[in-house]
Amino acid sequence: MAELTLKKIVKQYNPGQPKAVDKLNLEIRDGEFIALLGPSGCGKSTTLRMVAGLESVTDGEIIIGGKVVNHVHPKDRGVGLAFENYALYPPLKIRDNLAFNLKARRTKESDIHKRVAEISKYLHIEDLLDLKPAALSSGQKQRVNIARALIRRPAVLLLDEPLSHLDAALRVQMRTEIKRLHAEQCLTTVIVTHDQLEAMALTDRIAVLNDGKLQQFDTPLTVFNHPANEFVAGFLGEPPMNIFTVEPDNNRRLVIPGTEFALPMTSNIEQLLGKRSKIKLGIRPWGVRVNQSSSNGLLGTVSVIEDLGDETRAGVRYGELLLISSIPTTDRYKPGSRVQLTFNDEDLNLFDIETGARLQSNNGSSAPA
Amino acid sequence: MDRKVTSLFGYVSKSVLLAFYALFALFPLIWMLILSFKPDSQMFTTTFFFDPTLDNFRAVFSQSDFLRNLLNNLIISSLAVVVSLAVGVPAAYALARFQFKGREDIAFTFLSFRFAPEILVIIPLYLIYQRLGLIDNYFGLIWVYQLISLPLLIWILRGFFEDISPDIESAAQLDGYSWWQVFFKVLLPLVRPGLVAAALLCFIFCWNAFTFTLQLGGNSTQTSTVSMTRFLASDTVHYGWVAAAALVSALPEVILALLIQKHLVRGLSFGAVKG
Amino acid sequence: MASVEIEGLTKWYGKRRGVENISFNLADKEFLTVFGPAGAGKTTTLNLIAGIVTPNQGSVKIAGRNIDGLEPAERNIAMVFESYALYPQLTVFENMAFPLRSPKYKQPEKKVKERVVHYAKVMKIDHLLDRQIQALSNGQRQRTALGRALVRQPDVFLFDEPLSHLDAKLRHSMRAELKEMRSQLGTTTIYVTHDYLEAMSLGDRVAVINEGRIHHIGTPKEVYFRPTTMEVARLFGDPEINLVMGQLKAKGLQLVVQILGENVGIEVPPDAAEPLRTANKVYVGFRPANVNVIEGNSKTAFHGVVYSFEPLGTKSVLTVDAADGTRIRALIDGRRTIQIDRRIQFTITPHSLMFFDADTHRFLFRSKVPIEEVANG
Repeated sequence: MAELTLKKIVKQYNPGQPKAVDKLNLEIRDGEFIALLGPSGCGKSTTLRMVAGLESVTDGEIIIGGKVVNHVHPKDRGVGLAFENYALYPPLKIRDNLAFNLKARRTKESDIHKRVAEISKYLHIEDLLDLKPAALSSGQKQRVNIARALIRRPAVLLLDEPLSHLDAALRVQMRTEIKRLHAEQCLTTVIVTHDQLEAMALTDRIAVLNDGKLQQFDTPLTVFNHPANEFVAGFLGEPPMNIFTVEPDNNRRLVIPGTEFALPMTSNIEQLLGKRSKIKLGIRPWGVRVNQSSSNGLLGTVSVIEDLGDETRAGVRYGELLLISSIPTTDRYKPGSRVQLTFNDEDLNLFDIETGARLQSNNGSSAPA
Repeated sequence: MDRKVTSLFGYVSKSVLLAFYALFALFPLIWMLILSFKPDSQMFTTTFFFDPTLDNFRAVFSQSDFLRNLLNNLIISSLAVVVSLAVGVPAAYALARFQFKGREDIAFTFLSFRFAPEILVIIPLYLIYQRLGLIDNYFGLIWVYQLISLPLLIWILRGFFEDISPDIESAAQLDGYSWWQVFFKVLLPLVRPGLVAAALLCFIFCWNAFTFTLQLGGNSTQTSTVSMTRFLASDTVHYGWVAAAALVSALPEVILALLIQKHLVRGLSFGAVKG
Repeated sequence: MASVEIEGLTKWYGKRRGVENISFNLADKEFLTVFGPAGAGKTTTLNLIAGIVTPNQGSVKIAGRNIDGLEPAERNIAMVFESYALYPQLTVFENMAFPLRSPKYKQPEKKVKERVVHYAKVMKIDHLLDRQIQALSNGQRQRTALGRALVRQPDVFLFDEPLSHLDAKLRHSMRAELKEMRSQLGTTTIYVTHDYLEAMSLGDRVAVINEGRIHHIGTPKEVYFRPTTMEVARLFGDPEINLVMGQLKAKGLQLVVQILGENVGIEVPPDAAEPLRTANKVYVGFRPANVNVIEGNSKTAFHGVVYSFEPLGTKSVLTVDAADGTRIRALIDGRRTIQIDRRIQFTITPHSLMFFDADTHRFLFRSKVPIEEVANG
């Protein structure tokens, strides 16, 4: 168990090429479960591999338990890595797969036996010990994969996209298992994933990455409700946040030119807008309330209704924008219905067009998502 | 692991080693180049410094049928490649697309033709050819050259066909094209880099063929590879002539390969990497 | 008029069953989604209809005309493949024009240009017409594949998991746009997917397929609220539906069902008496959204211990070990936080239960109280 610190980590494969990881700073507490979340190519796997020692660090320091490990061999860093593609040794039985690393360290035979029994009981893989990897299902392989990483009693556990190759039902199940495992073990854990639901469900804090740069590092609810910028706001949440460009008009409203979208600005919004001629507005689908059509307010025509069982979504089109709203299943709108949309001011987010940063008011209070 | 000093040292030593190896590999060709311009008088007396002369080249072209032999080589090699294409492309497609019993065995059998050294099969082949009257015959040589070019072509093209998703053929069919039209309009353009690379490689191997044409060819079909050996006469060995002939013989394929070099690289690696 | 009649379609691959006895009828302009997990036989079904694969048995009729034995080129069907199957060496324009230049569906070049530009605008790729396919993003390729199918104006559209290779964000927006675009399709459509959200949102009806057989064909509401079997019920909803053994007991005149090892019985609606009369043991299904975690103490609520708490943003997933050890899941509001290992109590929304036969797993009953009046947790 140890703290893990990434200090200004940089990874550049060739000079002149864009950096895969750009000055990443993360301080992970002992026992914390964090996620490296982002789209493919954002640098998350590269970062994980640098922590494990499988990639060299171009610049910066990796510190595990207070010790700088940049030049320490992977096997001596005290990390356990569960690979994305399981990487189990095909000719060995599961028992031997698990024991492989311990044997390499010349651990006593009796100790190995004890630890294998312990870990297999914990991850419910006892009946699999005498089978070979080819006989296992994906879910079973994944559990063996994690068991193998844990058996070394690492200070830090690293999980590389552990759920991405499992089907939907199994993914939900394994997600719960991993969460439970962490709750019981309290081992410092880093998980790499592109699935924001996974990051939200499992972790204490999420590090959102894009193009090698850290976008935000905070608790799931904070990242969800108070995203630092447009990228984070659009990436987290299912269904995704509606984010679209609006302009102020002469009547102190934010409009989408050429459509009926016209939102009167409150003084708070006006203040945040400042001198900008364009701005991005973001609002989550459940923040868009659909009401019976009336004579005033923001009007629109329902363009599409999605009936999803326990959920219903309505889409109202304004030019290029299809504004999605989560509505109660009891509501009965049809494509073509005229409706009125309302929002709570606190559900509106404003993002700068150039930087993407979320705009906060001067007194420090931000408009939460 | 990543210190700048070690990497610089590594880079320099790697380059030096590679330079040595390049010299080592190219040396026979450089030697041949030197020999071809060396006059007979200086053949054994000097190594690198001499008075260059074109006598060797003149001799080769005037004193023998060398030009005609070059032409024979060209005709036979080109036609052999054409036949291989006509037969090999459909074969490669069938091996890539259709599931049938013994498919891998058949594919491997094709490849195995390349394993056997020509010397091994030349005696029975000679007897068969003699019976059939195919000695010293263009047709006979083109036919036997298939043993050289066909396996290579099939194996390269099979990889290319396998890399094309069958969905593309289905899509073209649904779009209203018959199977033949799909083959010519959609599939062939997609395997073209492989076709060019494979055809070129086969041509080079055919051009260099020696044993088959030595035994199964004759006066009218003699190729340049064989005729070169004539210069190794019993009384004097005209090394200069041999070198000149070899150089001229190698020239077409070198030029060809250089011209289509980028297709060659793309063609050979494209099929191998699963994208 | 392009009705589609599929009768007894069967395809065996050696000893492996591809599909068996697939039958359904579609009216002209109807949109059917074929939904099932990976390997269920969805793509095989489409390939059989398109003529890419020949069936062992069964027939396909389009607009009353039997098309068995016809080459794919002659069936007047357009298909969007999961891999998009775009012609890599052609530009976007040429890809979309390709079908209209074929011997079978040839159009004069002027018309070709008109149609391609029109549908490129519909798919919002009109600014990409000169680009090579390699230069396009994934989403743009997908739109090109869709555009190529649209220009044909065929009798039937077939879609094979067209959204599965898009990232989550794009998938949501494309799904809504596809639904919006239905009028552009203008004809009968069969859409295959493994995503239940797509299946329910887009289809007039949903055909649920698994292990090569159709288990249920019905409207989205029917397959979600009244699935024919437990297996069908499991395929819809995320997290999965909770399915537990239940014991039916009569408490006076009232029929109750006991689940999760507790004496608390849930009242069974009166109109259930008939279908459930002969049953003793049943499987009871209830969706996580219908599980309500309550504060305080109640004599009529169930007990449980929190096994895991997973916040998802708008909602959170709670995994609870019930009194008899069964693990069930609940969906709670995203603003609540509940500690793990905490003891909690919960109720299940009345009228939201589904009853299944314990042996055959077939659907027995669900309350006829209109779904609108069932309060959602």
